[in-house]
Amino acid sequence: MSEQNETVSRRDFLKWVVAGVGACYAAAIGYPVLRFLTSPAEQAKILGAVKEVTVKDGHKLALGASMMFKFGSRPALLIHHKDGTWTALDAVCTHLGCTVAYQSDRNVIHCNCHGGEYDAQSGKNISGPPPRPLKQYVAKVVEDGVLVTRA
Amino acid sequence: MNYPLWDVPFIGGGWVIGMTAIFHVLISQFAVGGGFYIAMAEQKALREGRKDWMDIVKKQSRFFLVLTAVFGTVSGVGIWFAIGLANPEATSTLIHNFVFGWAIEWVIFLVELATVLVYYYTWGRIADKLHLTVGWLYAIVSFFTLFIINGILSFKLTPGAAWLSVAGTGHEASMFWPAFFNPGYWPSLFIRMGICCTLAGAWSLVTCSRIGNDQLKLKTDMIGWTMKWLLPLFCTLPFLALWYWHQVPEAHRILASLGVNTVAPGIFTMVTRMIIVLLVSSVTLISVVYFFALRSPADFKLPQAVVIMFLALVVVGSMEYTREMLRKPFIVAEHMYSNGVRVKDIEKINKDGYLTHTLWIRDGSKTSVARGEAMYRGQCMACHTVDGYRPTRTLLAGRDRAAITNFLKVLRDHKPDSPYFRFMPPLVGTDEEVQALGDYLDTLTPKPAQP
Amino acid sequence: MKNMMEDLWKWCDERLDLSAMVAFAKHKTVPEHKHSFWYFWGGISLFLFMVQMITGILLLIYYRPGPDAFDSVRQITYDVNFGWLIRSVHAWAANLMIAAIVVHMFSVFFMKAYRSPREFGWWSGALLLMIASVFGFSGYLLPMNELSYFATKVGLDIPTGMPIIGPILSDIVRAGPEVTEFTLERFFALHVVVLPLIFLPILMIHLWLVAKHGNAVPPSEELKPAAERKSIPFFPNFMMKDLGVWLITLNILILFAAVFPWDLGVQADALKAAPKGIHPEWYFMVPFQLLKAFGNWFPGSLGEGMGIGIFTGGIILWLLVPLYDPNSRSGLRARNATYFGLLALAAVVGLTIWGYLAL
Repeated sequence: MSEQNETVSRRDFLKWVVAGVGACYAAAIGYPVLRFLTSPAEQAKILGAVKEVTVKDGHKLALGASMMFKFGSRPALLIHHKDGTWTALDAVCTHLGCTVAYQSDRNVIHCNCHGGEYDAQSGKNISGPPPRPLKQYVAKVVEDGVLVTRA
Repeated sequence: MNYPLWDVPFIGGGWVIGMTAIFHVLISQFAVGGGFYIAMAEQKALREGRKDWMDIVKKQSRFFLVLTAVFGTVSGVGIWFAIGLANPEATSTLIHNFVFGWAIEWVIFLVELATVLVYYYTWGRIADKLHLTVGWLYAIVSFFTLFIINGILSFKLTPGAAWLSVAGTGHEASMFWPAFFNPGYWPSLFIRMGICCTLAGAWSLVTCSRIGNDQLKLKTDMIGWTMKWLLPLFCTLPFLALWYWHQVPEAHRILASLGVNTVAPGIFTMVTRMIIVLLVSSVTLISVVYFFALRSPADFKLPQAVVIMFLALVVVGSMEYTREMLRKPFIVAEHMYSNGVRVKDIEKINKDGYLTHTLWIRDGSKTSVARGEAMYRGQCMACHTVDGYRPTRTLLAGRDRAAITNFLKVLRDHKPDSPYFRFMPPLVGTDEEVQALGDYLDTLTPKPAQP
Repeated sequence: MKNMMEDLWKWCDERLDLSAMVAFAKHKTVPEHKHSFWYFWGGISLFLFMVQMITGILLLIYYRPGPDAFDSVRQITYDVNFGWLIRSVHAWAANLMIAAIVVHMFSVFFMKAYRSPREFGWWSGALLLMIASVFGFSGYLLPMNELSYFATKVGLDIPTGMPIIGPILSDIVRAGPEVTEFTLERFFALHVVVLPLIFLPILMIHLWLVAKHGNAVPPSEELKPAAERKSIPFFPNFMMKDLGVWLITLNILILFAAVFPWDLGVQADALKAAPKGIHPEWYFMVPFQLLKAFGNWFPGSLGEGMGIGIFTGGIILWLLVPLYDPNSRSGLRARNATYFGLLALAAVVGLTIWGYLAL
């Protein structure tokens, strides 16, 4: 009688072990799949967190000069063109994620990692490996700096 | 800096340590786990008066005790050679800090070897009870070899605030005990003990699978007993792993997330990938033990046991690799980088120069490229090779001279948002030395086609 | 809780006759002998196909066929969480699946499991392997990287060697004289919709046949008297072992996928010259090398024709083996069939190795 109970409880224990292992497998496979499926939502949330940034003293930038600033967690580039217009762009190269830089003498945005180049006004990828343009922001001069907002 | 570079072609000095250490750690973990397993198995055989059981235990002891003693000793000494040659700066720190710990470890090793020889060769020649006592003595002494080395090994990841406060002052040995029983000591000891016992169980399954069908009851009994040994381990190891993970410093834990959304080269995604292998293999190991050994022990064959052994080795291997990678960019966390540069010396080196303090530079260091090569050998070859493991040539491909300059600037500035901050040391030296390094690296990379 | 589960079971059983299925499964046995290991390989192939379906659907969520294809794969590999892993698993499992099917096929051959009443199992299996190869060929183009583009270009140039219908066929498959985004889009439709629709029913038939006829017993086992032959119940004994083997397969797959992640490659550029040593994936090396060798030994169409002829002839002989070696009583034919199998195995392995050496 007690042996029967013992066998039953051992069987139950093993059932729990199997269930546990099954749950671990489900988790080990399910976790990457879940993150895979929620990836765009996740990234949209990160990107959407910050809507605007005022670059302090940005309006003091000389003609043909540029400066780096942070838009949320991402590096960004502010350019004061020689013709007086302003460009603000996401500074993460669309190739492998290096930070790009503005070359004033050539009036082009250059990525030092693999030589990618972008148009300084529009951010369009014009040469080298980058597959897509840099994301543009809207830049407006205000009293104490330059207000940069999402396009 | 203070020592010549041991330039190992293709694999790099680090992998000489790696291969020797992996071999040694596997052998020694079998020995530690096996010590307890054999002692308990012998005790059971004596208590129940089972001669057939005793015969198997004796056969198992030949692998567990004799083979592990021989190969463990040889590879252990091999580690000494390897680390002394490949990373003398860190070895020096560890020796100076833990010299009495090392000494005690050697004494324990001698006792361990003596015990194992007595145990194996007096089998059947001395009284059973006395023989069993020798077995238990071996198990305990073997455990102590782990107990001691664990202090030194876990110190590298978590030296602890107390030791760090005196690091570089010459008074490090005054903090021997806080450094030995550092914040990571106990989680590391427990999980290693769990792994040792699991490996012993896996090896036992190999022996059991070879028991012929003429001894079916012995086979199923032994497998059943090994299950009682393995299943509690399978239940506790996940918690021990979580406990271990919890004491890994936050800054190092982040390395595990680098490979989540990308596998691009140069982003150090290995930790994420190894953890995936570790998790999946652990669950497979438990499943295979369940589906084959537990459910039909009478049918349990050698190839199945070999698969279990293979999976156990994959789990241990990926765990050790992850643990090593988590410590990057340090060899002693927050104190010494993998290339031997001490955190406290960075300011001085940047002012005085890296090559100024380097005693061993190859002849011809008069040109910029030659000086750059000396910089590369000193600061980069601890982890990289030119064309072999983590090849610099491939990693820098496509970069022109301006890009290299920019890259070195990022390494030198070592800002927290630098993509390399988490796994590479800061580049140190004067501006001229950094420029020379750039000149040298420029000779390695094929130039991209001119637009 | 337990009563609830039992009631639920009874309710479903009354309407779906599940008990009959369970009884059938419990009744089924699997022979157990020293060659039983090979019985797992069909299941391994099936498991890998299921992995392909799941990872394929996941990739479908982010993949964009058309001019954007390479960029979408770049996004999956370098941007989406664990995208690299899903893609790596899909690529590795494709290779492992074809390898498993080949092992399965050869083990079936040498165990002579094509004999009556299992001929249709053999033929449906052959069909499945052919469809799997087309899966591989069509899927390979989808990332539109350099390797994909040139491997497809070379692969589609081969049928042009066939007189009259060759060029027409290639043009239809390629959607024109060159491999373009139109080729990509029809390969995509093929890979994601058409081939699964064809594959799945044939797979169901293949599995039904195995369930109906059971596992064949190799000739060496047939010689033993019935009393000496061992077998285990399919459910739960063999199924549990099957599951264990599947988990080991999954583990090996993840090992490869995580430690050797699949490369993104360089975007295909039609204007660039083909990279040196371009070749199709390993499972196409046999016809590739055969055609190359005959093309070198005999000039022009004659060489190509001979190569295609020998390859096609070999496949036809392979398919017809159940008719040549129908039962164990024909000792000479049985032996000849085995020799033919060994010859085929040697040819497959040899040509593949030779193909790589001759690159």
